[in-house]
Parts: sequence; C-alpha cells; structure tokens
Amino acid sequence: MKRFLETGNFAVTEGAILAGCRFFAGYPITPATEIAESMSRRLPQVGGIYVQAEDECAAMHLCIGGALGGYKAMTATSGPGYILYADPYGWAIGCETPLVILNSGRVGPVSGITGAPGQGEFYLTRYPTQGGNFETICLAPNSAQEAMAMTVEAFYLSERFRTPVTVLADQLITDGFEDISVPGNEGEMKEMGFRIWPRQIHPGPLFYPATDEIDIPPVQLGHNTGALCSDWTPTEEGYDTEEVENHHRHAFRLIYKIRNHRDLISHRCQKSFLDDDPELIVVSFGTPSRVVNTAVAKARGRGQRIGSLRLINLWPFPDELFTRKAIYLVVELNWDGQLVREVQRAAPKDSAVHFLGTCGDLPTQADLEESFNKLLANQPLTRKGWTLEAW
Amino acid sequence: MKERVELVASGFGGQGVVRLGQILGQAAVKQGLHVTMLKSHGTEMRGGYVRSQVVMSPKLIDSPICESPDYFIALSLAAYKRFRDTVPPSGVILYDPAFVDALDAGLACRQLAVPAKQLSVERFNRPILANTIILGALSRHLALLDKELLLESLLAIIPKFQAENRQAFQAGYDCVH
Repeated sequence: MKRFLETGNFAVTEGAILAGCRFFAGYPITPATEIAESMSRRLPQVGGIYVQAEDECAAMHLCIGGALGGYKAMTATSGPGYILYADPYGWAIGCETPLVILNSGRVGPVSGITGAPGQGEFYLTRYPTQGGNFETICLAPNSAQEAMAMTVEAFYLSERFRTPVTVLADQLITDGFEDISVPGNEGEMKEMGFRIWPRQIHPGPLFYPATDEIDIPPVQLGHNTGALCSDWTPTEEGYDTEEVENHHRHAFRLIYKIRNHRDLISHRCQKSFLDDDPELIVVSFGTPSRVVNTAVAKARGRGQRIGSLRLINLWPFPDELFTRKAIYLVVELNWDGQLVREVQRAAPKDSAVHFLGTCGDLPTQADLEESFNKLLANQPLTRKGWTLEAW
Repeated sequence: MKERVELVASGFGGQGVVRLGQILGQAAVKQGLHVTMLKSHGTEMRGGYVRSQVVMSPKLIDSPICESPDYFIALSLAAYKRFRDTVPPSGVILYDPAFVDALDAGLACRQLAVPAKQLSVERFNRPILANTIILGALSRHLALLDKELLLESLLAIIPKFQAENRQAFQAGYDCVH
C-alpha cells in the first residue's frame, strides 16, 4: 500500500486502472482536466488507449466504441460537459454498453464558476438523456480516497448491469489534495473492499438471451461477435424494429435489470448517531457531508438529538433509508433544492422536510448549528434576510 | 499534539499558493498525519484569486474547511481583508508587506510581516523565490511539522533551483521571530 498526498483526480485515475480501465476518451474541463492528463500518461504504460476528443459528445461516443471493442472504458468531465453526454448516454443505456463517467460538479448553470464546488446535477444523473424508459446508477463519494473506491465500484456495476454508471463528485474532491492510500496488489484491493468484474465476451449470436426472465448476461458485444448496435429499438437479435411489443420488452429490461437487482448494488451510506431515534436527521451527499458530520458530532456534544445520514448510492434512490418519522434537514450545494425533493417523497408523510442550500462554498458549521437550533425549536429557517420556503 | 491544525493561504494566481499547500501537505503525510487541502481559484492561470485550505491531523479529517485557521498566509490585500477575521486570537497571520500594506490593528491574533518579495528580489534578483521564503518563515512557527521534512518536501516538489531554494528557505526562517 502506497500513501500519497494527491488530488481526487489522481485517485480516480488510479482506481480506474486498478478496475481494468484501458480506454479513456475525454475533453478537458476544470475541475476534471487532470484525469484526462493523468490518463494520457498512465494508460499507455498499461497497454491502454487515450483519445483526446474534439468535444464531450464525441468523447463519450468514442468510449462506447471502445467498450464495444472489448475495453473497459471511461470518460470524465464537469457539469457543462456532462450535459453534452446526453446523446451518447442514451446510446450507452439503450445499447447496454458498460461505461464509467466521472462528473465533478462545479457551480452552474452553464459554465458558472470553474474553481468552486456545486451539486447541480443530482437529477441529471437520474435523467442524463431523453426518452425515459430506463433506470440509472450513480455513486457519490465524499473524499479522494472514496472517489477511488467508487470508481472501482462503478466499473463493477457497469459490467454487471451493462449500463453506464456515473460517479458524481465535486470540485473539492477532484481538485483537492488529500492523503490517499493506493493498493499495490489484489490482496490489498480486497482488503479495501474493491470488487472487480472481469470483462466477459459472450460468443453467442443473440443480443439478448431468448428468455422472458430479466437477468444480466455477460457482455455479448465485442471482438469477433458480429456486434449489432444501433440507436433504434432492437429485436432480440439486435436488428432495428418499429414494433411496440419489442420496445416494451426492451424498456422493461432496461428498467428492471436494475430495479430487480438492487441487492447487487449494496446500498452504501454512512449513518452517524442514528441509533437513538434522533429528532432531527441531516441528509447530505458528497463533500458537504463532511462538514455536516463535524457539526452533528458537535451538536451531540451539546446534548442535541441529531443524526446524520450520508448517501453514497444516489440512484436507484435508497427509499428504504427513510422509514423514520423525524425532522429532516437536507444540505446541498445548490440553491434550488434537488435531493430534498427526493427525501420529501421518500420520508414518511408526516415528517417535516427542510432544505439548507449553498453553492460555491461549503456550508459553515455556524450555518448548520443555527439551522439545527431553529429546527429543534420549531422555528422557520432564515438565511441572509429572506425566509426559505417550507419544503 | 493538537488534534487539528488549520492553515489558509491566499493571494493571486502565480504566487504559488497551491504549491505552498502541497508542500506542507506532503511533509505532513511523510510525518504520518492525515491531510486535506482544498484549493479554490478563478479561471486565470495568473493574477486571479486563489486560496488553499490545509487541515492536518493525526485523526481522520471530517470537515476539510478552515473556519478558524491557526495560520493564515496573506499574499494579497484582498485576501487579507477577506479572511483576517476568521483567525482566532491564538492564531498567527503571516503577510507579505509588498502586497498587504494596510494592517488591521484591531485584530487579537499575532501578525508577522514576512518581506518575502523584497528579500527574493534583493538576494536572488527576481521575485520567484518569495514563496519559499514564506515557507521558511512559516516553518519557524509551525511546530507541528519538522523543519527538515518541510525542506525535503519543497525540494522534492520543486526540483529546480535547489541551492537557491535552500537559501531562500533559511532566509525566511531567519527573518521572523
């Protein structure tokens, strides 16, 4: 095990290579440029291919090609590039192509602010493309070390489910430096809980198995398999069709191969101080959760019954974590409130769900403490002179 | 050992604010500490706003933000004005008077002038070693990190001009008390 002071971008690159990634196509963007940079250096060392694309849309299409050619493939970007993936993301979902995408959130909309963190793509990771009729998988680490682990896990899940998987990080994770341990062999990888799924090439002629059962077969596309791949609804043999019945089968498969196999996703989360039925549960993901955890620990020291729930698997959304009746406070790096909507939907109907937003900077402990005190005293949250709307 | 040491450095792009945090962090990792270092910056390579926030601790670090920095290195007047009030009475501000020329006398913390730019120009005929001088000055006050390890990290991260960097580091160490 080697220990470095390095960026999250470095951690993601090393995680991808450990997971078997040998193809990267991307277009540089702050704060994920260093992933492209380090991939261009590292991949040739391990027999992989790096391509600098002319834009993000081309980059992800190239990754699909790489994946269909038998490589574990990856791309990385930030919000303004992630939105340009909309078309190839749909292709990858529809053609069941395993891919890993890293999105490092910065401040939006559009180019916004480059060197500051944001969480504006929570819903975009659920609906990254048009057309509906699919489920997505998204993992959200809160440190550089976890970004490495979640990149490895994203490759595992993308191979198992044959679908693109997004790792949703933010500028502080990818651009920030942290002490990082990198495993040097398989034993150390197992010790760190890394799961690897080998790329399997199925020689059979059929795109889908001839069964009504929704299972997750190994990748059938790849070298010498006569791969059929198109953006149209496929028949079971992979040919284009306009038949609604075929479409239903296809859509059902894209949705339920994930929904019915949630046990494989092993919903990760971090629970702190949730064992004594806290009055207030603070929900967050990504970097803000680190400030939340500190603030909640301090609140416990003051005798306040507050717990913290940090989500790591964002999609499919872990509804089962929201069974307690409590006051919920959702802390996000955006001003419009995205995760809070999902928490409001999943929480028991008589729970009060509140929102604390900020963007570009993490919330301070003073902000959090003030919000905790107000909510426990049944007062509305106020911030910078205006009253927040009740969620 | 203090459970958590926070350090903020801020100035313009090109002054080495990020590099400085990286050198400190590298030294801390070598000492077996946990480290986080956040950087925030504008789009410019040079001239824009830059800030590094370094947290060092023997324990795993939760919040990586410096809300109450033990050390604040101010390399521009704008940075000084923006973060001076976050420094607690027990904290120390190290500033370069070439950039910070209007001090707030009302602060409870110690404020130490490190004439880094001036010293760099005087001794090395160019301002580029100012950052190393600041680091040397800091090493005198940062009891947490071993001086030699810090210098070693500096030389590992900046392989150029090693002899001058050694001299500049010592010059910085000697210019504050």
